[in-house]
Parts: sequence; structure tokens; C-alpha cells
Amino acid sequence: MSHGVVVEDSRQVPMEPSTSQETILGYVYPHTPLELILAHGITPSLVRESPNAHGGFEASLQTFSCSLTRNLFSQRAGGGLSSLSGLLFPSNTCDSLHNVEDIWRHRFPEDQIFRLTYPAARFDEDSVRFLSEELRIFSESLKNTFGRPLSKDGFLSAASLVNNFRSAAQTLYSCRILDPSLVPYSEVARMVREFLTTPNVNAVRQINESASATSQVLDERGQLGTAKSLQEGLLAGTLGDIEIAAESNTPRVMVVGGMVEPQAIASLFKGSGKSGDDVVVLDLLSFGFKTVFTPQVNLKDDPFVATARSILGIPSEPTQEGLPGRLEFLKRLLSRLLIHGLVVCEQSFCDPDQFEAPSLVKAASEVCVPSIRLPIDPELSDRARLEGRIQSFLETLD
Amino acid sequence: MPGRKLGIGLDVGSTTTKIVMVDSQGDMLGSHLVPTGASGAVAARRCLEELTKKSGVGTAGIPTTSTGYGRSLVDFAEKSVTEITCHSIGVHRLNPEIRLLIDVGGQDSKVIHIGENGRPTDFELNDKCSAGTGRFLEVMSRVLEVSIDELGPLALQSNSPCTISSTCTVFAESEVIGRIGAGESPKDIAAGVHAAMASKISTLSKRVGVTTPVCVTGGVALNPAFRHYLSKQIGAELWMPDSPQLTGALGAALLSLGL
Amino acid sequence: MTGRSGKEEKAYRPLKMQDFLQQVLFRHVLEGNAASEQGRLAWVTSGFPVEIPVAMGITPTYPEQYGAVVGSQKVGPTICGFAEELGYSQELCSYARSSIGSTSKPEESPLNGLPEPQALLACNNICGTVLRWHDAISQMIGAPVFLLDTPPVEGEQQPHHLTYVRTGIERLIEFLSKTFSVSLEEERLREVAANSSKAISLWTKSLEACKNKPSPLNCADRFTTMAPVVTMRGTEHIIEFYQALYDEVQERVSQGIGAIRDERIRLLWDNIPPWFSIFKFFNGLAKGGVVFPADTYTHAWSGSIEGEDLFKSAATIYSNVYLNKGLQAKVDKMVKLIKEYDLDGFVMFSVRSCKRYSLGQLVSKELVTEETGVPGVVIEGDMVDSRLFNDAQIQTRIDALLEMFE
Repeated sequence: MSHGVVVEDSRQVPMEPSTSQETILGYVYPHTPLELILAHGITPSLVRESPNAHGGFEASLQTFSCSLTRNLFSQRAGGGLSSLSGLLFPSNTCDSLHNVEDIWRHRFPEDQIFRLTYPAARFDEDSVRFLSEELRIFSESLKNTFGRPLSKDGFLSAASLVNNFRSAAQTLYSCRILDPSLVPYSEVARMVREFLTTPNVNAVRQINESASATSQVLDERGQLGTAKSLQEGLLAGTLGDIEIAAESNTPRVMVVGGMVEPQAIASLFKGSGKSGDDVVVLDLLSFGFKTVFTPQVNLKDDPFVATARSILGIPSEPTQEGLPGRLEFLKRLLSRLLIHGLVVCEQSFCDPDQFEAPSLVKAASEVCVPSIRLPIDPELSDRARLEGRIQSFLETLD
Repeated sequence: MPGRKLGIGLDVGSTTTKIVMVDSQGDMLGSHLVPTGASGAVAARRCLEELTKKSGVGTAGIPTTSTGYGRSLVDFAEKSVTEITCHSIGVHRLNPEIRLLIDVGGQDSKVIHIGENGRPTDFELNDKCSAGTGRFLEVMSRVLEVSIDELGPLALQSNSPCTISSTCTVFAESEVIGRIGAGESPKDIAAGVHAAMASKISTLSKRVGVTTPVCVTGGVALNPAFRHYLSKQIGAELWMPDSPQLTGALGAALLSLGL
Repeated sequence: MTGRSGKEEKAYRPLKMQDFLQQVLFRHVLEGNAASEQGRLAWVTSGFPVEIPVAMGITPTYPEQYGAVVGSQKVGPTICGFAEELGYSQELCSYARSSIGSTSKPEESPLNGLPEPQALLACNNICGTVLRWHDAISQMIGAPVFLLDTPPVEGEQQPHHLTYVRTGIERLIEFLSKTFSVSLEEERLREVAANSSKAISLWTKSLEACKNKPSPLNCADRFTTMAPVVTMRGTEHIIEFYQALYDEVQERVSQGIGAIRDERIRLLWDNIPPWFSIFKFFNGLAKGGVVFPADTYTHAWSGSIEGEDLFKSAATIYSNVYLNKGLQAKVDKMVKLIKEYDLDGFVMFSVRSCKRYSLGQLVSKELVTEETGVPGVVIEGDMVDSRLFNDAQIQTRIDALLEMFE
């Protein structure tokens, strides 16, 4: 039974150890070197927030620790995450994760914990050099812990797999901007999530099929060229000369935020009105857009340098330098893509989200786009109110 | 249906359920209010029955819009719209000058910027924390051993409110107990409680931006001390409709005219 | 020595140095205002290698210290409230909220807020929040931000880490040169580093004198007299200040005079203090014979830039500060202080708005007791936001700890 089958769509965390031969490395932060981990013959699997995780953290974490960390900790304290062979934490991203890794090591001393330290400063050669060395050290520790060295061929095929996934996901994102009703947002979020949980050919085939079908529809409408230009523009971060001239009866909404779960956002939209999640044209979330629009690794380069460059090529996170750039990018998207409203998601007790939110709201108002803030926790404890909030917002856009 | 056009609005809140019927001009023909109790659906039906009796008008077939926390429970409503939109429309009908609406209910508080067409253009909610809602005052009135209706007049007797610094209802409660134990006068403590609550609502309002004239609605609006301290903190006069609890249902009823 | 009066003597002995301290701090305010007008002021984080901008003729001023001022003047809720009105959550660092709030409404803030800077210099060795905080300020006032990135260190600092930070320092110098039209002379940097070293060394001697019984300094004394070495490090005039402080400390030691009259229980304090209650809280405990000869906050200022390669030295010192290491390093430091200062127990202040410093305390509390055998207690609150400080709850917990010593 593979890991992917064990993890159900209802976002339950497996309680039974996987019977497969797979070595599964769980990870928390979106910009994880998937190709590198796969090249070691290890499966990287994004650890999901579970709406059913409660308590278990009180003896170790204060309540002001970010709600994502408390949720993961609660899962572990409840015996979950046991199908993982190890867990990868990021360092130099935020203060909750920085501390929780240490606390985790103390509380669960039998767990294999790995750390990857990211640069927070400008993405130029110095940051690339630093991150490549960190990746090399990480690769060594994978080899030493699991007895699996990095395989060059493995790296090539992993890069191919990940590129296929990203390419298909990018196509879906771009097509949906032209017509969100082509594929439900929740579907795209699910397929992305599925790949991040189990990066294998099945997951890629699924998303590839959806991307092909969607491209075909747009091709028949004569819009495939526009979609492709959009995709390139989004990848480059500039959007070029593209403008959308869509007529739309449903409001066109963009969702921005950090490490919130896109499927949770989708389900909130589905519960808040007749148009459901068709109103979501685009997200700028860490586990959505920023994962999907990561540049490909350059196979001509040393694998560590190539991976570092790929990771540092994404639009920056609130955990990094680059706020002015992020705000400019947001404004460009809002004005060029005919967006009627912006939903700013904030993970409960998340410093990066909460510092960024007022700037995002202000940027949106500078291009005359109304916005609301959506405080969200992994347990969706306030689901009814959140749906009500979204519904009210959509009513103001009518 | 031949004859005049009518509209019904139902506001199913967590504490009370309200119904309003309007004519084609948007004037109120009748209304009713019941405690929601354990079933919003039952409360909604009861309201409808009472309205039929009171108004002498057959309500079957009249377009109905539901709003409020329990809006999805009203099976006979054609449409459900959130209370942000409905309060905005209702207040706009009663006083089209109003640009800022502050609604403080039993369980949450909202600040809504009303556009010129009566629709909300911006809003902020406090729906996670009980401090800044009617709940806060309920807890404090129990500690001070007065009824919730007596709390406001008691506070108005004070010229020197105590400072209640906790922003959390639980901590504020123990702070108040501490002050009672220290022999401070109940009226000063009551005043401090209202000032603390007004401060929280004031911060929420400033996030939307205080544009006058300002209207206050919701159960807590009936409290004169709350209005006094809120007015001071936001630096503006407050207008209150005659029936502040019915504005949501009124807005919903007006929306029904468009159905 | 204070003269005898008919009144009962206070449990706590104020330092004679307090007046001198006020003068030094006032000078800092004046210099900051002047520098701002002359276009050579930078806002700096407390862990920044400030010797470099100082050597380049730039005056630093500290929003964190301003946060302490806001707290001490008991206007934390008001000033933080201004930031909250702009949409900043109450969960965020209260130093950051004070800074954002006072920048938003300087005319309603203590000292009319901090003077306007030409650059914002942040080093994330104390926490990751500083970047986001300074980015927010930059959005408000337009001054550019420079981030010196010092990723957390685990154990020994790795060569690639040192290289990365050192390169960051080189880029800092380029940034300052361009922004302020100044340059760096190595000789001047050596001078400033030497001044910094002297002050730190004198400060450290005062800290270590607290190993004596009775302790010549209590928590509040150290938290207040620490201000110059944080905000004016590298200047000459603070060397005089720390010499004078050490003289007074030595005087007390030689005469067996303690910071509190009746020293019976010696405790360790962990974390930033509650600035709005700094004297009331510690003096209240002093009445019960409780003194704090050591704390983890004031012991953070001990490294000096020296040697042949000053940039390398700076990169090393500033990467290895207390808050940039892991949980074990924090535990080791606390255990060391408890042993060296012969302490009976510890109080950990869980500061709600400081995740970097506070998360981990629930575990480190257990580890410290395990390694030292002494008991401790965790109390909850905030360093600036007095709304989060519940007197009754805190008193109960501390009383429970003190009862263990009876």
C-alpha cells in the first residue's frame, strides 16, 4: 500500500505505519528541493494540516505559537505522522518554525529531524552560494541517515517529473484566469496537493490530462495563445502586455496569503454562495501559485546550484526580503487581470502573514480593488463565520 | 399575486429572530421578534405566523429573504443574504445620510461603511473574541450583581471611570473582581467596563475609517453608557434608529421587493 | 549612603548612577535629532554590528529601546493601538507595534516619536520579525531597508555561513556609502571597535560582580543601565559611564551592600522585562527578600569585534548571539548562570508578543531544573502591552515558587 493511498482525500492523517518500502520524508515549508530528495530515492511528502488535530501541544508550545505549528505538533502528539521516516524543517524563515523544530527534537527524540536553512536576503549570487552549500550538506545527511546516495540519473528523472507537474499546473492556472469555470479551483488545489503529498507518475498523469483537456477547450475558442502568454508572463513575474478583456457575470476574486491550505480556501468559497469556488480566478498562496510557478532546475548546472537557483527564483515569501517587489507584482496582477476583489488570508498567529496583510490591503486600494481579510486556522474552527464573511464580501462586489 | 407588491425579511440571530414586512414603498407594515431558542427554523416559522396574525395579511407567496447567523435554516426563503448587506440596506432606508454603521450584538460586532446606494463598500468584523460584544457586558453585570438593563444607567452616574486594561473577557472579569475587592465604587467600575468596550469598538471602527454621520445598532446600542463612551472615543455623534434590532430584517425585506 | 530618616527604609536601594544615566540617555536623544536633521541617522536593531555605521559617521537610534520607553511610560496600549488602527494584529511583537504606532502618530507619542531616519538597518540575529517590521516602516516613511542576514547557527558556525555573513557586511558598507555618501576607514573602525570592547568589558565586570552575596545589582538596575551599551556602543563617552557604574558596584561589594536590603532568595530572570512595571514588580519582590543577580537579557551583550580581520570578527560575533542559537544553547546559558551566580531558582517570563525568545520555555524550564536541581516558574505577560499582564495570576505563580524555599 503506497503512502498516497493511505492519505485520504478527506485530509485524514494516517495513523497506521505504511507497509510500503518507501522512505518518506515529510516537509513543512513550500520551497523544498523535491528533485534532490527524489534523486536520493526518497519520497518528499508535504505534511498536511489536519482539521481534526486538537490539543497535545499545551505542555510544549504556548498558544501564541503559529497555528500551523501547533496543528502539526498536535498530530504528532496524537500518534500521527508515523508513516514518515523523517521530517524536514526550514530555518531562517520565521520564529515559530525556528523554535518548534528544537522543541520537536526534544519531545520526540526518536524522530529523524532534518534542517534546511534558507537565505532571507536578496536573491543574487551570494544567496545562491549559501543555499547550494546548505543543500549539499542536506544531501549528505540524507545519504548518511538512509544509506541512499544521490543518483545523477535519479536527479534527471526527478527533474523531469517535477517539471511535468509544474508545467501542467501552470497551464491550468493560466487557463483559469481566462475562464475560471473551465476547471473548479478546488480541483486544481486538490491535484496540486496530491502531487505534493505523493510525487509520482500517477499524480502527474492526472494533472496532465486535466491540463490537456482544458487547453483543448481554449484552443477551440482561439484563446490558447493568450493562455500561453499568460503562463510565460506569470513565470517571468512581469506579465508583459497582457490584459484580459473578459466579460463576467460572476465576480473575479484573487486570493493572497502564505502557508494556508488552498483546499480549505476552496471549500470556504464553495460554502459561501451560488458561484462557489468559480469566483476564485487566481491564488498567490505559498502552496498554490508559488509552488506551481517555481522555475525549472537547469540540468546543465551542478544539481545543488541549480536547485538553489530554482528555489530562489520564485516570487518572494513574506519570510524574505522583497516586500516592495511583492506589492508591485500584486498590483500588476490586480489591474491587468480584471480582478474585482482581493481576499487576504492570514494564518492565525502567523507573524509573516499578519505583518504583510495591511500592506496588501493598501496595495489593493491603490489600484481601486476592494479587499477583505480572512483570519484562518487549520482547524477551521470558525467555518460558518468565514463563509459568511466571504459571502458578505461577494455581495459588495455585486 | 395581483394587487400591491410586498416583501418579507427574516433575521435569524443567535439570540433573537426578527421578521419585517414592507410594502412596495419600503414602508414597514408589521414586525415581530422572538427568542431564537434551540431552533432557528422553528423560531422563523413562529415569527411568520405571528406576523400573519398581527398584520392580517396572508403571507403565503410573498417573496422572502433570510439573513443572520441562521439564515440557511429558513426553508421558505427564496434568497439568503448576509447581515452585513442587510443591515446596511436597512439603515440606509431609515436614514440615507448614514455612512458608518456600528452594530454590536450579543456575540459579535461589526463596522460597515455604507455607500451612497445603501450597499456596504467596506467592513470589519470582530467575531472571534467576546470582548467588544454584548457578552462582555453580560459577564460584567453578573459580577457587579446588577441586571444588564441597570448596568448602563449605573455607569452613567460616574465621573471617574476606572481603567480596565485587559482585552480578554476572562481576564477583565478577574480584574473587575479585584477592583470590587479593593473597595472601588460599582459605578466607577461599571463606567470603566463601558469605556474598555468602547475602546475596542473604536479601534475596529478606525480600521474602516470613521465617516460621519455614524449610526449604532444591535442590542448593545440600547445601552446609554455604551453610546456615551463610544461617541467620545470615535469623536462623533451617534444616531440610533427607533428599533435598532430590526434593521437587518428590514434590509432583507427590502431586498425581497427586488425578487 | 542615604541618611537616616524617621521613615521605614525601602527594601530597594536605588543606584546613584541613575542621574548620570538620564544624562547619557538625554544626550542620545539630542544626538539622534541632530543626526536626523543632518541626514545621517539610521534606525538599527539591537543585535546589529553598529560599530560599522558608527565608524562611518552615521548615528544609530533604536526602535527597540523606544519600545522600552513606550512601555515604561505606560502608554503601550495606546501606541500599540495606533498600529492596530492601521490593521496590524494585536498578536504581533509589541516593540514593532509601538514603532509602527509612533511612526503613524508621532505627535501623540512619547518624545514625539523617534526622529526620521535616512535608512533602516536590520540584522535578524535576534529574530525574523525585524525584517517584516522594518519593511512595514519603510512602506510608511520611504527610507530604504538593509537586511544583514545572519541565519541561525547550530553548534559550530560553518565556513559557508561565515562567508555569507561576511559578504553581507561588505554589502552593508556599500549600501551605507551610497546612501549616506560616506566611506569606511579601517583605522576608524578599529577605534570604534576598541571603544565598544572597553565599554562591554566594563559592563561585563559589573554583571559578574553580582556573583557576590549580597548582589550589588538587581534586575531593574541592569535593565536600565544596559541602555547605553546597546544604543551607544562604540562611542567614547559611555566608557566613562560604565567605569562609573563599575566604581559604584565595587563600592557596594567592598562594603557588603546589596541592591536590596534583605537578600534571602537569589533567582534567575529569563526574557525581556515588563517595562511598564519594571520597578514595581521587582521592588515588590525585593520586599520579600528576592533578588535577581542574573538574567539572560543583559548577558547578551558580551562579544567584541577585534583581531586582524575585523569583518570576519563581526560576522562571527554577531552570528553567535544568544537568540540566534537553538534551545540547547539557551538551556546551557541558563544552567551556567544558575551555577556561577549560585541561584536558588528561576523565573521565566513568557512574553506573548516575542515568539523568538519565549517559545521553547515550556521545555527549557524542565531541562534547566533537571540539570541544576533548582525549581522555576513560568509567568505570562508582555514587555510593552500591559493589557496582557494579569497581576493576580502572576502573583499566584510566583508565590507558589517562593513557598518552595520556605
